[in-house]
Amino acid sequence: MKLNASLRSLTALAVASVALSVTLSTSAHAADFNFSGQLVYHNDVVQIDFNLAAAADVRLWTDSWQSGLNFDPQIALFGGGSQLLAQNDDDDTVAPGQGYFDAGLALTQGGGSPLAAGHYRLTLSASANDPVGPTLADGFTLSGQTPVLISAWNQPGYDVNANDQKGGLWQLHLTGVDQAAVVPEPASLALMLAGLLAVGWRARRR
Amino acid sequence: MGRPNQVKPARTGTSRREFFKRSGAGTVALAAATQLLPQVAAAAVNSVFQHGVASGDPLTDRVILWTRVTPPSAKSAVSVSYVVATDAALAQVVQRGSSKTNPGRDYTVKIDATGLRPGTTYYYQFSAEGATSPVGRTKTIPAGSTQSLRMAVVSCSNHAYGYFNAYARIAERADLDLVMHLGDYLYEYGNGQYGTARATEPTHEIVSLTDYRMRHAQYKRDADSQAMHRQHPMVAIWDDHEIANDSYKTGAQNHQPATEGDWAARVAAGLQAYYEWMPVRPVDTTNLRKNNRFYAYGDLADLIMLEERISARSQQLTAATHATPFGAGFATTDPGYADAGRSPLGSEQEDWLTSRLRSTPARWKMLGQGVMFAQLKAPGANQTTDPGLYFINSDQWDGYEPARNRIYAAIKGDNAHPAVDNVVVLTGDIHSSWAADLNPNPYNPVTAAGGYNKTTGEGSLAVEFVGTSVSSPGVDSDTTGQIAGALRFYNPHFKYINLTRRGYMLLDVNPQRVVSEWWYVDTVASPSNIQTFAVAFEVQHGSNHLVPSAQTPSRANPPLLAP
Repeated sequence: MKLNASLRSLTALAVASVALSVTLSTSAHAADFNFSGQLVYHNDVVQIDFNLAAAADVRLWTDSWQSGLNFDPQIALFGGGSQLLAQNDDDDTVAPGQGYFDAGLALTQGGGSPLAAGHYRLTLSASANDPVGPTLADGFTLSGQTPVLISAWNQPGYDVNANDQKGGLWQLHLTGVDQAAVVPEPASLALMLAGLLAVGWRARRR
Repeated sequence: MGRPNQVKPARTGTSRREFFKRSGAGTVALAAATQLLPQVAAAAVNSVFQHGVASGDPLTDRVILWTRVTPPSAKSAVSVSYVVATDAALAQVVQRGSSKTNPGRDYTVKIDATGLRPGTTYYYQFSAEGATSPVGRTKTIPAGSTQSLRMAVVSCSNHAYGYFNAYARIAERADLDLVMHLGDYLYEYGNGQYGTARATEPTHEIVSLTDYRMRHAQYKRDADSQAMHRQHPMVAIWDDHEIANDSYKTGAQNHQPATEGDWAARVAAGLQAYYEWMPVRPVDTTNLRKNNRFYAYGDLADLIMLEERISARSQQLTAATHATPFGAGFATTDPGYADAGRSPLGSEQEDWLTSRLRSTPARWKMLGQGVMFAQLKAPGANQTTDPGLYFINSDQWDGYEPARNRIYAAIKGDNAHPAVDNVVVLTGDIHSSWAADLNPNPYNPVTAAGGYNKTTGEGSLAVEFVGTSVSSPGVDSDTTGQIAGALRFYNPHFKYINLTRRGYMLLDVNPQRVVSEWWYVDTVASPSNIQTFAVAFEVQHGSNHLVPSAQTPSRANPPLLAP
């Protein structure tokens, strides 16, 4: 009896775990990711990795332009081999709350085709800082330029009458993906490494 | 004098295409013409850039480039690219760039093209939605030693009242550095309320943002306006009609809060549309009412543009009770006349103006402003019982005497500041032509007491050129000049008055003198190529008073007009 009871509960667990994975890959609610931060320089590029365990409808969009309060964002999607799959500067039809110059990609049955299972990287940059070539390694059009503060930059497409798009806030939303995380920028990584080294050095002194 | 008093009309012809474009029949007419004149029609049909191109507010290194995109269907965002070149064929490209627009800007596009060279003519073109715009021509202002400025000065362009033939004549002049528009670029009235030559869009008086945008769009579809904007950069200020007639900071004669809502909301709507649709660079994006600014045209001239309506102007005097042939006049003893707190400019702008007048190194200080600075009086209606003279227009500087005297004080100088020579006031507003010597009291003939000698010009501290309207009506019944003559009789400081003709002023400036020529079109009731040189006056360096002048020659070998 006891064994049977244990077996039953094990079976129930197995069923539950299958149900959980199905929920993650099909339900938008279970796998919505919201990221935000500040773009400091005009040629900064935010990178976000995400995974899909199975083919799914995926929506990726910004809602941070806010009628020019913040810079005009654009997004690009790269596949597992870092090849450019899709990019968008302006699409405010992907989700409610977007403004004219917000970006969006709807990779769905209705809006193109669902995204296949795999590993992906999403980039967010200021509008007109476009991916240069077919892969992420090719960089972006403004990559080589001396960084200009977003707050001091007249972004192409800014409103001369309002002197707008001077805010650095970005907000990015992903629905339908399994896992997502912001990839630390090389500069941040270097800082973290430097911090670790410093800690190690202090530990050694002690 | 041996000089021609009439210029032979340019052979631009009145082709079918021209006729259709002017008649506003637009799309339908051109669609019909496509079968007859496929090549011509193909060039003319440009639905994406149907509002033309424009440039303005030139500085030594930058200029505003403007257009408006009409996408085939509504879009949230439209990408626009542009090119700037030094030749009309756009082969010598100096700049390429991109921009965007959206419905929140009414699809208007405004580029502040920087990195340009001083005193240089450029050509530019936009692309969007698979179409290219007409090529525009513009010019930056010079830096340093400068020998010449030649510009057209216009005001009061009323689409409903007639055709912008003056604009078309200005468009044909290849040797202009810029066009100065002194306001009343458009009118707010509804259909038939002020002019019946052309129907207004919308049909009602414009009050909302949608209304103001529609009216601007209508004006920008005018073929003659497009031609002028395409060939010359514009330096524009608004007067009252860009929002509503006889406006002041907190209201306007033609604004009824009970039926038209909050004045501040109307001003905000009017200004938003103005900045969207005009090739102007905002002075202060956090306060669009502030619009005073200056352009240092090398060391030759400062173009000091004033804002006299909605940033600070006190309400016009309302105590005019003295009957004159021009309606109720007001006297120096009337309530409010001597109130030092009343001003068209406000104290901040007065200080700014005074400071620039005193500090500018420029030879000529040219004030571009809306309403007449010179005094204008008319006799009482019954001279037997009332032999006095009365000011007749409380909307002009006469209604703000203490403020005007503060400007005169700055020009006269004091113990701490030398006098300011070579001030030239340029004015629009009143749909008629005037040339005036300026003195705080020109009715006093005793120069030793600060008065003015009309024969010698002694006592004059500065001069004023008032340009007539592009199309708005003057006192058109004065065909014999009798009324103008009477006004000159009572107002000794006017050297010239014409109340009946439409046209523009041509200002030719060099270090020695400023010449103003008045050019008139023959009619605004229909498109016409006829223009006539009427008269010219000039002020010599250091003289501060007017003398008769002659037509100035056109410049040799001006840069090509845009194709």
